[in-house]
Amino acid sequence: MIRFLQNNREASVAIIIVMLLAILAISDPSYLRVETLLSIYSNSLTLFVLAIGATMVMATRGLDVSVGSIMGLSAAIAGVCMNDGFGIVASIGIALFVGLCCGLFNGFMVAILRVPAIVATLGTLGFFRGCVHLTTGGSWIEGLPESFKDLSHAWVLGLSPFAWLVLVLLAAAHVFLRYTAFGHAIFAVGDNREGARLLGIRVNTVQLTAYAINGILSALAGIIFAAQIGFIPNTAGNGMEMRAIASGVLGGVSLLGGTGTVIGAALGAFFMTSIDSVLVMLRFDAYWNDMIAGAILLIVLIGDGRIREAMAQSLRYQKYRKFLEPDELRAADPAPANAATPAEPLTGAGKAGTKDAALATHSKEARV
Amino acid sequence: MKSLGLLKRWEAVLALLLVVEILFFGAINPAFLNVSTLLYSTSDFIHVGIVALALTLVIITGGIDLSIGSVMGLSAITLGLLWVAGVNIWVACLCALGAGAMAGIINSVAIQIAQVNPLVITLGSSFLYAGAALVLSGLGGASGYEGISGFDDSFVELANLEVMGMPFPLVIFIVATAIFMVLLHRTRFGRYIYLIGQNPRATRYAGIPQFRTLTIAYALTGFMAALSGLVLASYFGSARSDFGSDALMPAITAVVLGGTSIYGGSGTILGTALAVLVVGYFQTGLQIIGVSSHIASALSGALLVVVVAMRSLSEIGRAYFLLWRVLNSAGKQKA
Repeated sequence: MIRFLQNNREASVAIIIVMLLAILAISDPSYLRVETLLSIYSNSLTLFVLAIGATMVMATRGLDVSVGSIMGLSAAIAGVCMNDGFGIVASIGIALFVGLCCGLFNGFMVAILRVPAIVATLGTLGFFRGCVHLTTGGSWIEGLPESFKDLSHAWVLGLSPFAWLVLVLLAAAHVFLRYTAFGHAIFAVGDNREGARLLGIRVNTVQLTAYAINGILSALAGIIFAAQIGFIPNTAGNGMEMRAIASGVLGGVSLLGGTGTVIGAALGAFFMTSIDSVLVMLRFDAYWNDMIAGAILLIVLIGDGRIREAMAQSLRYQKYRKFLEPDELRAADPAPANAATPAEPLTGAGKAGTKDAALATHSKEARV
Repeated sequence: MKSLGLLKRWEAVLALLLVVEILFFGAINPAFLNVSTLLYSTSDFIHVGIVALALTLVIITGGIDLSIGSVMGLSAITLGLLWVAGVNIWVACLCALGAGAMAGIINSVAIQIAQVNPLVITLGSSFLYAGAALVLSGLGGASGYEGISGFDDSFVELANLEVMGMPFPLVIFIVATAIFMVLLHRTRFGRYIYLIGQNPRATRYAGIPQFRTLTIAYALTGFMAALSGLVLASYFGSARSDFGSDALMPAITAVVLGGTSIYGGSGTILGTALAVLVVGYFQTGLQIIGVSSHIASALSGALLVVVVAMRSLSEIGRAYFLLWRVLNSAGKQKA
């Protein structure tokens, strides 16, 4: 069971989500409908998109805390373009391009200039947010075209065009990371940068691409956000970076790079949103949201850490067991060990084994 | 040549930057050079500095604490609730500081139990503490983001109190800087902090009390965050749960700009203190010459990017220079 959870980190998030929905269903069965799920899903679209991007960046052992600002910037630029009479497609294209540029800039700082990722993106967090104010002149952007807002309204099977797009994107990102050489390269760079370089992977290109994709996805999140709420405040995307990272971490993406799946991150994002919705449906006061989400996040993280420690210990035990066991046998029943005198060389080997075992236990103690 | 050696110290560069910056803004608007303007404008940003000092310790150990902003709000709300409940204001202050230290200890214990990246744990606990602050303020009757105000006059006046011609928050900052300098650079505890940042495994084999050292570092950070929340509460005359949400990024910025390696193992308190002043005066200076505050924050983001990129470039340059020198001498030996 523990091994299964460890190998399928997504499963643990999925279980928590199911538990959350079960609590909801018990308290009020009338909520147990497809519409509830769909509404939670459409509330979590922006976080989904950001979580996909965060997975890619975190897989390269990076971190992007500027996504909230990129989101706000591209939403603002899309809004300004639309209100200036550009077509919707052109505006979205421009916004995505801006996101690409922001992502490339982050990637340039991290991959080429070798600035630590958190520092570089911390700087661009403030910088891009300032650009938002420059673009909008400090005021909210309102009066977006109706046809643009319609993109977030129900279309086929109760899902909006953006919701379908995000589903497709999720599948595409999963396939990209799992089944293509480039996707594997991203994980390889995160796991062992120098090793990846020696294998002939273009490390800098991979990192740059991961940040660029993240930039485009953040821009897309901004566009979806604008279409959903129908206007663009200056604070659009504030604080989203932490939620995106938290979603990824909850879904099993390691900040130390090299592991994690898009599906896990998406489930994490779904959880982060569903807790808000579920608490509202359970008629809790809204101010409980962050505390409960934080508590669950901490519990999952600590539990995960403990499981990983236990796994590592059992692995170490398996590794040194052949040295440890003769020792234990002798301690349990010394007579047979003494009786085994005919096999003189064997005891010698046994002695060597004891020495090794002593070493092993010693190093074990030192590590624990 | 000797002066060049001095320039190699990052603190010297920062001090130079600070002087140049003040002179630059003073040249555009002479009102900026007024001593009382310079002293009293610190009140707008010094709360960031108070946390950043303690955060330096944590970052030197190779960790990070993202929950400081939440702890600031939590301590302010604790103070407000206790005050509303009729507790003496100074006792309430002590309790708020205790709550901050407790939050830091919880962080540290969680990190050590789980053996997970501190970034992740404190991200989770930042949600927890911010949520707790909201819940407390909700339970206290101040629904949502509304503040608790109406504190004792003696507490509110504290922020505007003048000690030796300086505003009280600045005095707190200077005293804290002195204390942390002694703590980090002159005590065994400080050496342990550096050592843990340099090589945790070697530290463990050397028998250094890692758990205790780290816990003290995180507890100090929580304590200073709470202190900075109290300074803000006194400055604004009210307590709100979202006080610190804007202070987290500037605090990390100050520590990083101050020359502390985000990977741990190096950094100084003086650097952080100077960086706080550089960033703070940069913002106020821009506002005094008539740049809007949003653009000022964009420019300070750009300042961080540029400074860090320059440092990184010079490091890369030095690495190439060393490589070239080694290869060059090797080539000469062959010939």
